[in-house]
Amino acid sequence: MTVVLARVDDRLIHGQVTVGWCQQLQPDRLLLANNAIAADAWQCRVYASSVPPRIQVSILSVAEAVNLLKGSEAEQEKVMVLTGSLPEMVDLVRLGAPITRVNLGGIHFAPGKRELYPFVYLDDLDLRALCRLAELGVDVFAQQVPGGREHGLGVQAIRELGGPC
Amino acid sequence: MRGLVATHGGIGAELVEVVAMIMGPGTGLESLSNHGKSAHDLTEEIVVWLRGEGESGAGSQEPAIIFIDDYGGSCANAAQLACRPSDPVALVSGVNLAMLLGFATWHEELELEELVQRLVERGRTAITRLGGAS
Repeated sequence: MTVVLARVDDRLIHGQVTVGWCQQLQPDRLLLANNAIAADAWQCRVYASSVPPRIQVSILSVAEAVNLLKGSEAEQEKVMVLTGSLPEMVDLVRLGAPITRVNLGGIHFAPGKRELYPFVYLDDLDLRALCRLAELGVDVFAQQVPGGREHGLGVQAIRELGGPC
Repeated sequence: MRGLVATHGGIGAELVEVVAMIMGPGTGLESLSNHGKSAHDLTEEIVVWLRGEGESGAGSQEPAIIFIDDYGGSCANAAQLACRPSDPVALVSGVNLAMLLGFATWHEELELEELVQRLVERGRTAITRLGGAS
């Protein structure tokens, strides 16, 4: 499988993903890695119903998602990977998912989070996760939609935000 | 009957305001935007609205319709996840002004199912080509 985009987005499967990025990148499969949703048939059904019919959907636990991404099946398949949080993306990479670049697409305000961009708010847990991604050799960039401005987030930038890198 | 217009950005608030401008107060409509909210927070906000917290405090059992702008978006997902099967709530996507004017007209006299049927029909009828180049 080729990962065409690995995105952190706390709205999960929604218009920016299914219309914006999918029209741009034309993935064969959308893979949502989320333990809670994967264990809930109703949530799986709701989120899967949001995806255009030409795109396959997999909603799996983080461990199952890693197995799918590492497997040799459908080697030519283009997959877009989604998680709802940065720590979940770190888990995917740490467990061996072939992800070298991560898109921060939507991490919205919650208590304790500070604004980096209008669509990216980070807390200490997120900053630790960003440092971990940097250690694992993953490039990180913030960009909400195709054609939008791409903001690189290298180690120096993460340190300046207070990340313990 | 209560109505919630849950949309991207300020679409819902504007629609609700325009309905009140045309029909006057008592439209039965409120709005909610997805702006700046995660899927979790948006779902929770709709759950709170459905319970009617802040009114009686005991939870609302009043039938309701949630109008959504686009099927497959964050508002549609959140509304589906916020509703329990036992809730007297209908979800309608593709909201437009004609549909909401119908809601403001009939929300106090029609039962939920009949109202939904009429509003979907009215909303669809409003989508038509009026002329222009042939």
